[in-house]
Amino acid sequence: MKNKYIFGGFIIVIFLSLMVYLFTQSNIQYQDDFSQVMNTTKTVKATGSWVKEKSYDLNRKNKTFTFFMVDDNGNEMKVIYNGTIPNNFESAASVVVTGKYVNGYFHAKDILTKCPSKYEDEQVKTSTM
Amino acid sequence: MISKAFAVFNKDFHSELRTRYAINSLAMFVIVAISVIMFAVGQEKISEGLTGGLFWVVIFFTAMSGLARTFVSEEERGTSLTLQLVASPSAVFSGKLLFNIILVFCMNTVIALLYAALFESFVIKNYSLFFFSFVLGNIGLAISSTIIAAIISKAGAKGTLYPVLSFPILLPLILTSVQLTLFSLDGTSIEDAKFELAIVVSYDVIMLTVSYMLFDFIWKD
Repeated sequence: MKNKYIFGGFIIVIFLSLMVYLFTQSNIQYQDDFSQVMNTTKTVKATGSWVKEKSYDLNRKNKTFTFFMVDDNGNEMKVIYNGTIPNNFESAASVVVTGKYVNGYFHAKDILTKCPSKYEDEQVKTSTM
Repeated sequence: MISKAFAVFNKDFHSELRTRYAINSLAMFVIVAISVIMFAVGQEKISEGLTGGLFWVVIFFTAMSGLARTFVSEEERGTSLTLQLVASPSAVFSGKLLFNIILVFCMNTVIALLYAALFESFVIKNYSLFFFSFVLGNIGLAISSTIIAAIISKAGAKGTLYPVLSFPILLPLILTSVQLTLFSLDGTSIEDAKFELAIVVSYDVIMLTVSYMLFDFIWKD
């Protein structure tokens, strides 16, 4: 009778820790290597920066915004986003897009921009009277 | 033990056929909930993500409306003491669990078919993934709702206590199942959804072990 509870407790502990581990694995993961982004069909958060030299396009008819992104290794990919240019997009230091790579384009559901801080040393100096 | 479990199941099955209480309450709830959603949506085209979530909302509340019946009916009719005399706790639990699993499968198959027929955006692209997540999710739902029904059957305000107590216990299952349903609507491969499937499998194993361990204490109270 007592063995039953020891055995049961053992099973519960093992599977509970397995479940906690799997929960941390199953969330959307950040990926800063675009060659891996292109090879998975999973939804990922791709981190990179906007290629300002290449043209970007704002299609008013389909309400899509198309631009190019580059990662640290120099891999480029084309990103399509259903919506308009996010605020502060021009001044963004880096961009995080959530979505997945299908048929040669990265279809973004969400764009996050990381902006340089307003409160950097240089600007403090210039703003003094 | 297995023959006794099957006898308990058989008894429940026949009394259900006679009264049709659980089947009627489940069917009514499914019809009402889905028609309310249909009216609320109207001509609007809703996204895939929303239909996947609404699918599990309907499943959760339907389960809450009908599945407590297995143990509550024993208490109401005053037959629980007799059942304690004739069968061991694990045999009783197995029989009730089997009955609830069959009920959950019938109910969710009806819900899935109605969703596929009525909602344009509920188009399953990966059938095998949907099937696996459906089966595993149903088993988890049946196990949790059976043990919680046993806990609340002794309590006073059964109707309110059941969803309140079930919600935190079912939350990991429902979150993962919503994710898996979205994957199968998206057409994600099983390989990519293996973590979510493994979460549901471990949830089922945990709940089954906990249920068999705790049921002795709940039942002999």
